Amino acid sequence: MTQQRESVLTPEVKALIGVKGEVVECWGTVDEEYLRRFMQAIMDPDPLYWDEGFARQSRYGERITPPIMVTYMPSRLPPWEEDPITRAFRENPFSDGIGGVRQRGGLPPIPTKLVRILNAGNDIEVYKFPSIGDKVYYQSMYRDIREHVGRDGTPFLTVVVETRFWNQKNELLCITRAATIRR
Amino acid sequence: MALSLEELLKLPPEEMLKHNEKPTGEQLRHKQQVYYDDVQEGMELPKYIYGPMTPTHLFRWSAAVENWHRIHYDLPFATNHDKLPGILVQGSWKQSIMASYLKDWARPNGWFWKASFQHRAMLVPGDILIVWGKVIKKYAKGGMGFVELEIGMKNQDGIESMPGTATVVLPLRGGRPIPYPFVPPEE
Repeated sequence: MTQQRESVLTPEVKALIGVKGEVVECWGTVDEEYLRRFMQAIMDPDPLYWDEGFARQSRYGERITPPIMVTYMPSRLPPWEEDPITRAFRENPFSDGIGGVRQRGGLPPIPTKLVRILNAGNDIEVYKFPSIGDKVYYQSMYRDIREHVGRDGTPFLTVVVETRFWNQKNELLCITRAATIRR
Repeated sequence: MALSLEELLKLPPEEMLKHNEKPTGEQLRHKQQVYYDDVQEGMELPKYIYGPMTPTHLFRWSAAVENWHRIHYDLPFATNHDKLPGILVQGSWKQSIMASYLKDWARPNGWFWKASFQHRAMLVPGDILIVWGKVIKKYAKGGMGFVELEIGMKNQDGIESMPGTATVVLPLRGGRPIPYPFVPPEE
């Protein structure tokens, strides 16, 4: 007799598809110093990042920034936030350094007993480089949640979180989609 | 004449570095446009070589983007607690490198539109990283040239750490400019 396995894509989990987090304004603006540190860290010496005269002659008409630089701006914590690193290690002396760091605009947790999270891949789409001085906003949503069955017959979930980034002129800058496996 | 990826991977690491096609800032300034018409399926993109990677490179990235995950800078934590082979090259750094690589190939008038990839093998300090791309398909639409690429980042042993695909939009010779901000043609 075949035993019917329990689905992990419960109605509560399925209901999260399409659910959005709050719109978050990244701390600060797209600024010179962030750009300098970023381009040096990725070892990209593109004069379009720093030579105003050269950039003005380009199709962009102004300096640009590395294609997905803005997707890291959510990591900037506003100065009024409690020190997350001290808190993380107070709560767990063996903290991995990010476990206690909350990112603003987070999505509601998935109500599942599948707690192991594995990175399953990333998509990026780029539409515009922000300008120096731009404010950057983002919003995440559960784009898709699906159930799969492993080779051993154990069900698991794939979760796709889409995050859109735009500037103060409501110009779409880029979209990321991060897929994770929940086992 | 540039070496193919296959030829490059047969070389010892110190020889690989001599075949780095990563442009300087000055070379980027003068880069000539690759047109859709000149691209053929199977064609390889220039290969960018980084490294040998050091803990300092990794720490610089973590500091730049405020990523405090200890597996990228705390060796005892990475090896003893998380049982990793060493501190790990950040996936976020790798995808940023890839985005710059594709931006460079499209310039000055093309557009790196999108990419999709997975993080597979772990990369550690001491590794040399080869960023590569290969044309797998091309088609024109809406007066623009769409080039689909297979992309990745291999280490000196040929182990692939970030397999994926990408779409770069190139101008057609005598064709219309690629719009900026980029607007894809309707389906």
